[in-house]
Amino acid sequence: MRFDNYFEPTTLAECSSLLKEYGSASRLLAGGTDLVPRLKNRQLKISTVISLQGIPELSRIEKTENSMNIGAMVTLRDVVKSPLLTGSLKVVAEAAGHISSMQIRNIATIGGNSCNASPSADSVPGLLVSDAFALISGADGDRSVPLIDFFAGPGKTVLREGEILTGFSIPRTSPFTGATYEKYTIRGDTDITIVGAGCRLNLNKQGVIESARIALAAVAATPVRIDAVEKLLAGQKLTDELVKEAGNLAAANISPISDQRATASYRKEMVSVWVRHALVEAQKRAIAAIDKSNEQSSSVEWTYYG
Amino acid sequence: MTNMIGKGAKRIDAYDKVTGKGLFAGDYINQFPNLLYVKALRSPYAHAKILKLDVSKAEKLEGVVKIVTGADADVDWENFPKSAIFAKNETIWAGQGIALVAAESLDIAEEALDLIEVEYERLPHVLDYYAASAANPASVIDPEFETREAPSFQERPGEKPKQRKSPNIVGAYSLDAGDVDRAMEKADIIIEKEFWTGKKTASALECANAVARYDSDGGITMWSNGAGVHGVIKAAVCRIFKMQENKVRIIQPYMGGSFGSRLNPYIEILTVLMALKTKRTVSFEYTRKEMYTSAPSNWPCITKVKIGAKRDGTIVAHDYYLAEEIGAAVNNTFFTGRLSSSGACCVYNIPNTRMDTCAVATNTVPAAEYRGLGCPEAEFGIECVINELADELKINPVEIRLKNMLKKGDRNPYGELITSIGLSKCLQACADAVKLNEPSVQPENGPWRRGKGIATAGKQNTPLGRSEAEVRYNSDGTVELLISCDENGMGITTSLAQMVATELKMPMEKIKVIKGDTLVTPYDNYSASSRTTYNTGNAVKLAAEDCIRKLKEEVAREFGVHPSKVEIQNDKAILVGSHVQEVDIPSLFRPTSPFSQGNWGLQKGSPVVGKGIFCPAPIHMWDAKGKSDRVWNWFQYSACAVEAEVNEETGQIRIINIASSADTGNPINPKLVEGQIEGGVMMAIGFFVNEEHLFNDRGEISNSNMGDYRLPTFLDMPKNKNFASLINPDPLPDGPYGAKGMAESITIPVGPAIAEAVYQAVGVRVTGYPMTAERILQLIKEKEAAL
Amino acid sequence: MSLVYSNGKTVRVSLEVNGKKLTADVAPYMTLLDFLRKEINLTGTKHGCDDSNCGVCTVLVNGLAIKSCTMLIMQANGKKITTIEGLEDENGLHPMQKAFVDHFSVQCGFCTPGMILTAKAILDENPHATEEEIREGLHGNLCRCTGYVKIVEAIEAVRDGEYNPGCACSKEV
Repeated sequence: MRFDNYFEPTTLAECSSLLKEYGSASRLLAGGTDLVPRLKNRQLKISTVISLQGIPELSRIEKTENSMNIGAMVTLRDVVKSPLLTGSLKVVAEAAGHISSMQIRNIATIGGNSCNASPSADSVPGLLVSDAFALISGADGDRSVPLIDFFAGPGKTVLREGEILTGFSIPRTSPFTGATYEKYTIRGDTDITIVGAGCRLNLNKQGVIESARIALAAVAATPVRIDAVEKLLAGQKLTDELVKEAGNLAAANISPISDQRATASYRKEMVSVWVRHALVEAQKRAIAAIDKSNEQSSSVEWTYYG
Repeated sequence: MTNMIGKGAKRIDAYDKVTGKGLFAGDYINQFPNLLYVKALRSPYAHAKILKLDVSKAEKLEGVVKIVTGADADVDWENFPKSAIFAKNETIWAGQGIALVAAESLDIAEEALDLIEVEYERLPHVLDYYAASAANPASVIDPEFETREAPSFQERPGEKPKQRKSPNIVGAYSLDAGDVDRAMEKADIIIEKEFWTGKKTASALECANAVARYDSDGGITMWSNGAGVHGVIKAAVCRIFKMQENKVRIIQPYMGGSFGSRLNPYIEILTVLMALKTKRTVSFEYTRKEMYTSAPSNWPCITKVKIGAKRDGTIVAHDYYLAEEIGAAVNNTFFTGRLSSSGACCVYNIPNTRMDTCAVATNTVPAAEYRGLGCPEAEFGIECVINELADELKINPVEIRLKNMLKKGDRNPYGELITSIGLSKCLQACADAVKLNEPSVQPENGPWRRGKGIATAGKQNTPLGRSEAEVRYNSDGTVELLISCDENGMGITTSLAQMVATELKMPMEKIKVIKGDTLVTPYDNYSASSRTTYNTGNAVKLAAEDCIRKLKEEVAREFGVHPSKVEIQNDKAILVGSHVQEVDIPSLFRPTSPFSQGNWGLQKGSPVVGKGIFCPAPIHMWDAKGKSDRVWNWFQYSACAVEAEVNEETGQIRIINIASSADTGNPINPKLVEGQIEGGVMMAIGFFVNEEHLFNDRGEISNSNMGDYRLPTFLDMPKNKNFASLINPDPLPDGPYGAKGMAESITIPVGPAIAEAVYQAVGVRVTGYPMTAERILQLIKEKEAAL
Repeated sequence: MSLVYSNGKTVRVSLEVNGKKLTADVAPYMTLLDFLRKEINLTGTKHGCDDSNCGVCTVLVNGLAIKSCTMLIMQANGKKITTIEGLEDENGLHPMQKAFVDHFSVQCGFCTPGMILTAKAILDENPHATEEEIREGLHGNLCRCTGYVKIVEAIEAVRDGEYNPGCACSKEV
């Protein structure tokens, strides 16, 4: 592994201009757990590494009036341990916690996971079902993009030259919400995901699904949401039949590939299985949120975040 | 009196390993400032013509010192270890070497690989038995097999395939004992099934690694993690490079596991090649990917098992076919099916046994030794069929095995006498530990279903020649034990030290083991086939006895008594007879000064050296029917009982409860034996349930890393309280202290036990392994569709 | 200016390794693993794979278990590193090392340094880790020899206070 230049910018502006200068011959270094192996194996040959270590504002998790903001450089470990990611946001922490092993999570970052843009990136479905936005900063200014639109293909994002993913913004959601991420592998989290099923259900107080989010990893060229299933579920109460139907509909709506981890037909089968499990678990959590609010019978403010 | 046999003595190398102070092969490179680094360019195609190979740009890169290719005529490629043979005009497996580069740094060597230009023309390939054994296969791996002149040591009856139904059949063996056809007619029930197994890699954590120092006299000193410093590496270096024995020194540092895979000197030969060509010190470490694509794998086996039995469970006949997939091994002189199929003759008393076996070459990485030597592959089908037989006949799976099991004094189908077999106890112990007769308690809800299964296994101990040992009793009463067997991690240096401690009646702390240095330690072939405790152990015992005899003589001479009146205990000699007198042995070693004469007796600084040489009794060559009354030395045995659960939605298998029992002969160190049981079971869970080489359309391994090649992790083992390691020894009469070996047999019954547990859980029978989730789910779906 | 390194020259890094402060001039594309093994000759940390799957390269960085093969030396700049060589002190072996010896948790020894450090990190953070939590925390470390049985035993022995006095495993990192 060799590269010619190594930078540690202290501001985003500096970082951005370096990216523009070196273009596709450069890469940003976050935790390094994806970049460094690829450089070592010579899968990637670049001239310039630009570290984000020196920009502290990228490592914060902040709660604002209307959103939860997670900096791109927050390590997966810190995402998992954050006391702020509770209630329906627990899914973000749980999904991040399914990545690889403890050692990797100690330095890998949540932003890096998205920027690496593997179709099987486990933190992404947790963010997708939470309606997260990707916050992007560049020489031409800042912009935000719904995370579902951030991915362009395996290993590809919509970041333009000179742009940096600075974090994620997760909007408030309705109170009776339950979300989960089911990662399916053979051995455990150190396996690359065969099928990852994220699900969020926003219920009303009567338990009817107001809106649903289904996000899948490892079944397409990017992490995806399954609109057809989300539409199917909206306005309904979850029953065993509906769970089964949702699972089958999800499987029918994807065309996964066969690779060394699983065949396409097995992936399809697993989608129906794990969407079912994710729905059941999300429902359980949403009902628990309803039950909790009934017990407390206090005004619903930020309680669904805590 | 110190009797260390049967004691759990702490490992003598544990301190070095827990502190990181013990050096492995790769840790030596810092000692050589002017090192060259070697890297290999590998073929991406399972079969292709090499139309163009141009290394000129790479040669011009600054820092590149030497590039070698398969076309180099001065390299004796044909006699290289199979997986180290570089391609000349054609590459026959994906991962075969194309070019070998030595450069001043690792970075430069890697850059040089990128500058080598190769043009391939793809050819059809065959990756498994079914494709390779066709009469007109799409690819023939060794077209010259028939015409090549074989060296004489290969000529053995039954080895040459009589009628090769395919040009990829390159070895054969058959056994015809009793009258199988007649006996089958008398059977009440016959089960006939075909089984397949996948290709796997031992995946020891330390990648192959060698440092070869070019000495000023043109000789080589090499540190490597290969096995067999004398019997494998030095022998190969001297033979292949025609080097003088006094110019080759091979040293084995601490070694990160072998499991048989290091018995091939593939990296050592390539490293020495570069050292001789560059006349420099050279370091070569395989990448993890190369350990999958370019270091030997196991040999998968296809088996066809046909067993006939009476209604009462007595097995009357066994008709057995086995084919070993040996990969792209040209000039095969090793594989015939004889080793693997021995598994069919270990456990059961079936006088009417017929075996038809062969070896099949394929366009995959050449095979070599892997824990079990083909017996896990060979016995899987047999144990599955016996479990099916038990189910069909409604006979308890323990009973049916006990009914047919060989006993001490019986002769197996080869005609060999069984002198030690503790298998019935193993079987019963395992059945009891998992409460085999009580059906599993099913979880109340959810997709998991549970079942239990049991199986037995045996494995031969291949007689692998000579071991020597030296015991040096120093003038201060401390001892050195010199041996050249391999310490792969199993703890053999500790148990051998225990033997010396026992013979000399001294504490272990006074004994230092010197191992694996051809200049210093005496000859040993290698550690393989679980032979070391038996072979080297016997040599060590003899060496200790020799040392004691010499000490006795010296003491006797000193005191004017007959040696038979002397006993050696640690650093004391006891003179028995009418007076009992204790003598301090170190005090008998006399110092000399410049002003006194030397002395012929015990001299301070000059140890008393005992030597031992041990060879197992010779083979009686098998006859035209494949029979012989002495082929393998002895047998190791194991039983395994499992409770597993199967996920009906995903097909995954989880092991809940497992009991494994080994007949080790008398264990020298029970804690080390437990370690082998536990490690062996884990390794077996891995290769029976999840591990296999997967191939892309180029015929290259697509899962050549330790994530996608699914090795067992902490999460794949049951909880400690649900794991029973049981030792049930039956002493081996000619083993040292009654010991034998066991680290292979324990892997074999794990798979068939799991297969039966799967059947009990979800009602499907596997016909091969690994029993991956996809395959199990497929079987479950097929069963549902058939209903 | 944030340029740290440009072709051909080296970078000065300062870090603390096993309690000793040191500085070195290195190329920034060196991994922490190569730095430890080749630059400062601490060969106890091992190299086993190229895809961060095996765990034999694990060291502690500011107390956290990290796979040093996927960390650039620049990421370790200014940090405190603990390698296996740093566990034994004038009082002898660290409790975790002792436990591995006593419980026969070592066979070939290649996974051992990474295993011991990861185990220490687990108990440092979670002194009452259950067997499940121990297995979960360690499943990024592979072993081919032991079957993991006696490794778990050793860690549980340390957890259960068999190697006290004092808090069995908390040592200033």
